Amino acid sequence: MRIKTAGWDARYFQMTFQLIFLSYGFLWLHWNTELISGLIFITSGFVFQYIADVLFIKKNALAIRNKNNWQSVLVSCLSLCLLLKTNGWFICVLASAITIFSKYIFRIRGKHIFNPSALGIAATVYLTGNAWISPAQWGSSIVLLFAITCLGCIVVTKVQKLDVTLAFTGTYAALLFARQVLYQGWPLDFFMQSVTTGSLLLFSFFMISDPKTTPDHPAVRIIWAMAVALISFYLTAFKFVNGAPIWVLVCSQPFVPLLDLLFKAKRFEWKTPSVEKKFSIINSTIKPSNNYH
Amino acid sequence: MKQKLFILSATIAASPLLYSFCGFYVSKADATLKNKTSQVILVRDGNRNVITMFNDFKGDTKDFAMVVPVPVTLQKSDVKVIDQSLFQRLNDYSAPRLVEYYDENPCEPNNRRYKALSGKVSGVMVDEAVVTKSELKKDYHVKVEAQYIVGEYDIIILSAKESNGLKNWLTDNGYKIPKGAEEVLDPYIKSNLKFFVVKVNEQEKKKLPGNFLRPIQISFNSPKFMLPIRLGMANADGDQDLVVYAFTRKGRIECTNYRNVNIPTGNKVPLFVQKNFGNFYDNLFTHQWQRENQDVSFLEYAWDVSPQNFYHCDPCIATAPSEYDLVQSGVWWLQKDWSDYSDVNDDNEDDNLSRNVHFTRLHFRYNRNHFAQDLMFQVTPNTETFQARYVITHPATGNFTCDAGKKYIQELKSRRRGELAELTSLTGKGIDNWQDAASASNDEEDQPEAQYATLLQQANAEDEESNRSVAGIVLLGVTMLGSVGLMRWKGMI
Repeated sequence: MRIKTAGWDARYFQMTFQLIFLSYGFLWLHWNTELISGLIFITSGFVFQYIADVLFIKKNALAIRNKNNWQSVLVSCLSLCLLLKTNGWFICVLASAITIFSKYIFRIRGKHIFNPSALGIAATVYLTGNAWISPAQWGSSIVLLFAITCLGCIVVTKVQKLDVTLAFTGTYAALLFARQVLYQGWPLDFFMQSVTTGSLLLFSFFMISDPKTTPDHPAVRIIWAMAVALISFYLTAFKFVNGAPIWVLVCSQPFVPLLDLLFKAKRFEWKTPSVEKKFSIINSTIKPSNNYH
Repeated sequence: MKQKLFILSATIAASPLLYSFCGFYVSKADATLKNKTSQVILVRDGNRNVITMFNDFKGDTKDFAMVVPVPVTLQKSDVKVIDQSLFQRLNDYSAPRLVEYYDENPCEPNNRRYKALSGKVSGVMVDEAVVTKSELKKDYHVKVEAQYIVGEYDIIILSAKESNGLKNWLTDNGYKIPKGAEEVLDPYIKSNLKFFVVKVNEQEKKKLPGNFLRPIQISFNSPKFMLPIRLGMANADGDQDLVVYAFTRKGRIECTNYRNVNIPTGNKVPLFVQKNFGNFYDNLFTHQWQRENQDVSFLEYAWDVSPQNFYHCDPCIATAPSEYDLVQSGVWWLQKDWSDYSDVNDDNEDDNLSRNVHFTRLHFRYNRNHFAQDLMFQVTPNTETFQARYVITHPATGNFTCDAGKKYIQELKSRRRGELAELTSLTGKGIDNWQDAASASNDEEDQPEAQYATLLQQANAEDEESNRSVAGIVLLGVTMLGSVGLMRWKGMI
């Protein structure tokens, strides 16, 4: 059984949008150093994926090697390219390693716990102290344009589910609006600048919405996204934490398996041709999944 | 083309800086007080902040008053005045620079020339703070949290419940609030900010030589790392410039709510730029600012200026800030009790690490339409060095009759055409704008056919910018088409 989405893999859509966003950075905003670190993220990502395939999959008797893993690797690595800034190539390699291996190491009941790129970013920033996130690197006006286009594309093509994205963005924006405009009395453009940051856009469309690391139950999923938004808002507005949503997401994800256990529901699987052929029904929440995304 | 050793050019102020604060002036007379350019030193490590604001107020000091929103109530020990020459030294040291190179005549042996630079260090005075009194103004719902005299300034820290009360208090106490400031007072009150109100104490002022006001330095603990610029927009016409000198222990600072852009650097520009480098940089900054949609933070300088790091710039255009300068700027982690020898035998390496100082110079040009929010910053671990640096190259002298010499002339011509195109691309001024400057430099030239004035007539003004945009659109189109093609191939659409 599979949650109904569009007829094709959402990761192609994500990849396209991430590539457009990235090319905008390279061509218009002249991100020159990011080109090299971007190449390192992607190359090392694929190398680590190969190593992980060799190390982990052969040991697992139930495993069927998924040939279509490259979409997940590319989407995760592009997220790193777009969000993470580092002091050196070895930090990039470390971030890729955490991103890729986290999917194999942190697993409960066949589902990986953390969103790979969110964990990769958070762990690299926290552990090395040599990486950081630049939330404003796209400027404000273009982000709004991208957000609207992105939302439009999803609505028209139904390529991925919007429930988590809308629940998170809606709650977060509503709370910011209530505080900044209604309570503090700042003009509307002050609020617009707060919500149109590139990192927030990428986070809400491509990170928190990852169906593999959100609760299976639809209602629980929405409440969970709203809770992430609430805590992120608190940390941003009152504690002045930069990049709060990513930290909150990573900290909240260990609770997702617990929520899945309490509120049982059908599990999401990427719709990829190879998976379809080899096993089409994954209905059990107890049996380990073979799909290493 | 051979280029032999470089010589450091003299430092030239980037743009005429009219120094003032990031707060707003509240005039006590009806004089129209404007602040156009501010200079601020920010020091940040952990939650500790030191902010120094420099003021070049011109006029009767009786009319001077300033309001700055601050996150906490500042006590007398948190406020001091410092010597204003510190700002000049920081500006001189970190300002955009012009570098000279000399070509070697391929037909003759080289001759080397050097120019030396000198810097001057002057003393710093710190005045004692004196507490006077504290009082409660119930009628206005305004609370005077603290009141004291520091140096030549009367300082009051106010907290308010609502903006009308604050406005009335200021008006009734003889402060004139500029039009437009009222509407931003309320959001600041609701953000739990206090108001740091400063005016000149005439008696204290008379005790000091000279007719200038010294910079005020405030220190406080707060997780907020920001500069309030919204109040400063209240009494400024159009665009205001702000230069931020930041010192941290970890690395560069960057803006978290405006895009961070490095000002173009390393560009080869024509020789005649030397005659008016200030004007050149002013044009360059304005052009880049317009190109970047007017809402960015420009990086002009970033370097490790730790006392243990002796390599402070390349090239240095002024003496690097001394340890004493850094301490005066507020870099508290360098302060050391020199009479305490207990750490003499300690591991020096740890001590050195904790004494790291990274210097960042950011340049903002803001206006109300493009800067809706105050400037928020973060300290990043980015330790990469950066300087705004432009290169001029003097041609070789002598005769070029040998084969290599003829080749050199050809190369010189092509290089100079490139320099002219670069000048246009950087400053946005068409090649015709530089005609006079190019002609004026002719008397220095040996080779008539390689003169800028001659080349100008031949040069085709290439609009590099539009070419880049076209290339961008083409590439983006190819990416999108490629993606659609891939999806089609995979049978998804």
